[in-house]
Amino acid sequence: MSEPQGTAPHKSSDVSVWLERHGDYLFKYAVFRLRDKAAAEDAVQETFLAALKAYDKFEGRGSERTWLVGILKHKVTDHFRRMTRETPLEPTEGEGPEHAEFFTRTDGWDNHWNNEYAPIDWHATPAQLLERGDFWRVFSDCLSPLPQRTASAFTLREVDGLTSDEICKALGVTVNNLWVMLHRARLHLRNCIERNWFRKEPTKPQS
Amino acid sequence: MSWYDKTKHAVRFWLLRRLPACKQTVELISQSMERPLTLRERVLLKLHLWVCMWCQWYLEHLQLMRDALRVQKNENDEVEVSPTTRLSDEARARIRRSLTNNS
Repeated sequence: MSEPQGTAPHKSSDVSVWLERHGDYLFKYAVFRLRDKAAAEDAVQETFLAALKAYDKFEGRGSERTWLVGILKHKVTDHFRRMTRETPLEPTEGEGPEHAEFFTRTDGWDNHWNNEYAPIDWHATPAQLLERGDFWRVFSDCLSPLPQRTASAFTLREVDGLTSDEICKALGVTVNNLWVMLHRARLHLRNCIERNWFRKEPTKPQS
Repeated sequence: MSWYDKTKHAVRFWLLRRLPACKQTVELISQSMERPLTLRERVLLKLHLWVCMWCQWYLEHLQLMRDALRVQKNENDEVEVSPTTRLSDEARARIRRSLTNNS
């Protein structure tokens, strides 16, 4: 490398310390979005390599973790782009369950909420949702039956707040595709969270 | 049921039968979180919500989920997702090797 001798070992030992301190956190962050452990490991490795290269730009300003997460976000998007190029969305993968059973199929009273699945009053504020220690776990468990791309789209939209355009570019889907994915994800998640938290009767087997 | 309640009930069902059903309405609710609705869509949605408590709650829950998920997070919050998810020793060793090779 073109770096003067002597500074490189110090950099790489610093970055090794970061690996110890933040490796698990970055890995969880990546798994949560990519929903694939091998891909998450790659993204974390690329993040640390990029951090090593850009070490001089960091210069100890701000929090290491925030800086590393910033790099990781790009690596996650890069991964989706690559995946999209290699495996375009197959019609068979689909956008997720339609949950037709949520709605009635009675003549003259078609497509209204089925009593069993109709929303109930949660009596909750966002803060109260988050205060429940298992909020993130329930959320993550409820996401897992969805197709990987749909779950990722939902996380990028609702957790990271990316715009529709940004997600379409990253995932290589049309905006109409994305809206169907988000709608199915919301329909599924809302019901799953309600079933796990707000309904008293014994839970039904997970779809 | 009082006469008033009965009438209210009848009006509600009369309207619900004529408006787009709940299945289409929840799709519209989801889209309302992605794009501005057209005037026609807004009117139909308002009317439907006016007579349908279920869809009112549906909208409220989607908003609740969004607010809870987007709330300014402490960096460590998401870690709770999977306390047992850790970078494996092999992956850690591989990353350390790649760092040494590239420095």
